[in-house]
Amino acid sequence: MPTEPSGEPVRRAVLSLNGGPTDALVVECGCKLARADKSELVAVYVVEVDWSHDLDDELEEQREVASRALDLAEGMAERADVPLSSQLLQARDVGAALVDEAVALEADAIVMGLPYKVRFGGDFALGETVPYVFKNAPCRVFVVREPVASSAAREEHMKGI
Amino acid sequence: MPMTSNEGEQRPPPSSEKTTQTPKPAGLAGQKPGNRRVRVERTRSEYFRYTPSGALEARPKAHEELGTTGRITQAARRVLFGRPLASAEEIGERLSKKKALAIFSSDAISSSAYATEEILRALLLGGIGLAALNLALPVSISIALLLGVVAISYRQVVVAYPNGGGSYSVSKANLGRLASLIAASALLIDYVLTVAVSISSASEQIVSAVPALGPWQVGIAVAVVVLITLANLRGVREAGNIFAIPTYLFVGTALLMIGLGAWQILVQGDGSAYPTLKDNAVDFAGLAMVLLAMRAFASGAVALTGTEAIATGVPSFQPPESRNAATTLAVMAVLLGTLFVGITFLASGFGVVPNEVDTVLSQVAGHVFGLDSIGFYLFLTFAAVILMLAANTSFSAFPRLAAVLAADNFMPRRFAYRGDRLAFTAGIVVLGALAIILIVIFGGDTHALIPLYAVGVFIDFTISQTGMIRHWLRERPPGYRRRLTVNAVGAVITFLVAVDVTVVKAPSSLLVLLLIPVLVGVMRFIHHEYDTAAEELEVDRSRVYGPPTKKSRVIIPVPALSRAVIRTVQFGRTISDDVQAVHITVDAEAAEQLRADWEHVLPDVPLVVIETPYRSLVLPFLHYLDVMAPTPENTITVVVLPEYVPRHWWDNILHNQKAKRIRGALIGRPNTVVADVPYGADRVGNELDQKSDVPPANGQAAPTDQHKEEHKRRFGWRR
Repeated sequence: MPTEPSGEPVRRAVLSLNGGPTDALVVECGCKLARADKSELVAVYVVEVDWSHDLDDELEEQREVASRALDLAEGMAERADVPLSSQLLQARDVGAALVDEAVALEADAIVMGLPYKVRFGGDFALGETVPYVFKNAPCRVFVVREPVASSAAREEHMKGI
Repeated sequence: MPMTSNEGEQRPPPSSEKTTQTPKPAGLAGQKPGNRRVRVERTRSEYFRYTPSGALEARPKAHEELGTTGRITQAARRVLFGRPLASAEEIGERLSKKKALAIFSSDAISSSAYATEEILRALLLGGIGLAALNLALPVSISIALLLGVVAISYRQVVVAYPNGGGSYSVSKANLGRLASLIAASALLIDYVLTVAVSISSASEQIVSAVPALGPWQVGIAVAVVVLITLANLRGVREAGNIFAIPTYLFVGTALLMIGLGAWQILVQGDGSAYPTLKDNAVDFAGLAMVLLAMRAFASGAVALTGTEAIATGVPSFQPPESRNAATTLAVMAVLLGTLFVGITFLASGFGVVPNEVDTVLSQVAGHVFGLDSIGFYLFLTFAAVILMLAANTSFSAFPRLAAVLAADNFMPRRFAYRGDRLAFTAGIVVLGALAIILIVIFGGDTHALIPLYAVGVFIDFTISQTGMIRHWLRERPPGYRRRLTVNAVGAVITFLVAVDVTVVKAPSSLLVLLLIPVLVGVMRFIHHEYDTAAEELEVDRSRVYGPPTKKSRVIIPVPALSRAVIRTVQFGRTISDDVQAVHITVDAEAAEQLRADWEHVLPDVPLVVIETPYRSLVLPFLHYLDVMAPTPENTITVVVLPEYVPRHWWDNILHNQKAKRIRGALIGRPNTVVADVPYGADRVGNELDQKSDVPPANGQAAPTDQHKEEHKRRFGWRR
């Protein structure tokens, strides 16, 4: 993984997971980064808590999904022989929690996944989290966009279901 | 990882996420006002992790022992054998060609240390004096050619049957079950003998060097077997690390000795020849000469033992397994052939004659390096070590073969399971134990063991080569005729050598011929037992199994009134409304007291008291079940036994003895299930009696009339 343009190695990177199709890409990217720079990886999954719940409510279903995503990330990193720790958070806003966690961990980089989605009308949908992190993260941000082909395949699959 | 609050917790959490993922109540403030987040602890993830397939994977913490004794044992095992290896690490445990050569070839290569002597001694027994020793070199070259044929054949086996098993796999695929079991039995016997012979021989070498150790010869041999067993239990790769250096040191110094010796004989003309037949003026018929040569051939053929080990252990190699195994086999054959013929050439070139004081190898080394030189002692030390390590080949091959047999249900399945270090623990331990038994029975005497040795391996070679003939005739790939010819020649020669070795080493060798059918019988019996069990347990997959139609009733043998018994009764009540207790006693007065207490404490549960004037406890209980309380139709009797959970090893002796006897007696009884209800202070799950709705003893204690009437209606008698 090239560390240009800053040239500074990444010592600690936060991998943002959401249980979606881009998680594997994010971990893969993180592992490459870790191998190149001997970085420490922290996989972070933020469970978004809506205002009908307290922030520390036990949201079992969401936590189960999050746990699975973090487990899979740990397994991938282990197979790649890269050390990875994981963090499960509950917050009102995913982007804010990610940035805050990266700051708290003194991370040098945040790696995020971005599924290929288009809005009605054909515009590419960036969502809310990525722009927030781009705007507020004090560290470098890597975004791994899902290949168009796999997005299309997923869409077909969903139609089939 | 911020999961510190659960560090040190020993018990796996319950499966429910609700209880395992308790969030820390305090939220963490973010950079902006109002941005708060809560960290959720994932204690479960320390124990279990989801895999991509959705299954749960037990992590190292889930394999930790819970009790103190268990933890101490586990720690001791880690010190002895190293940390447990995950199945995924198996690929890392595979052997490189260099390590595999050391592990699988130590038996074959060590043969070069004594095969020449075996030939020379056999030739001397011909009665024509030293002239016969001239046959040694031609005989060794013939054996080397046979080695070439066998090695080529096994290279073909390695490629055609990459899952290991060697001759067993070949004969199973081509000659049928019986032939394959004969091959496997012959090999298993030979592997055990290899360990016993090589370790006994090494022990003799040690004792001859330090005669004061004479009384401890058997003990030394046993200790060495134990050490090699432990080393192999650490895993095949670590065993390779331990054993590779001595093997290569021997090979290196032996090659150096051959090179220097050949220079001295051929260039410097330092050699001295044996007398010829003419010099001896002995009239010796041609046929007798052939017989003598055959005898020498049979004796020297022990050099070929261990050649098949690589074919047995193909899956131990790093990928590409077959190609690496084939290369290693070729290198081993070339090395063994070179060392064997080279040492025999030097022995003949220097005119070495076997005697009772110095081995042929030490005489050759003395000629080349000079007696009492550093090279001389170093070489002999390496030779002694390699002889000891010859056993290690068997420790690699025997467990592999046993695992293959176990996978085919011809050995107990335990042999197919890998231990903490991915080694086939059962095979290693059994091999070590059998070798120790042999060493002790034969008093560590190599000469007593040798006649049993090498018979099995030639039977195995013959079966393997015959199997390959069938293989080529069936497959007929391009160029198969050449391969077929190699195997056919090999099959004939190895068959003749098998007969030769058996006859020459009779009557001791016949013991092996007797053992083989016994082992075959045992393996067929095991297979039959597994087949029968599999038939009984087979599920009809076309059927849909609905809810159970049978009811259950519970019978509880009660030794006395205790918290354990109350807990058992409460458990019994959770599975059936029909619960009765049975107290078998020799003391009528005590029983009366028990009844009074029982009706006071458990008024809803009828108690049957059986007096036993002949003091037998289990049989009256069984007959009570059969005669007085036969299982009603469409009902299962659940016998629930209170069991005191031992906290110390001596508790096993002090408690639960009656329960064990009852449990043993009930196994196999139709329509009967036995359940244990554990009870022990400070143990998990004692809440059944604590949450019980049992009325307190000082409450409305007496059983109601309704209870008494129910009891009379059901049993009609009080004792």
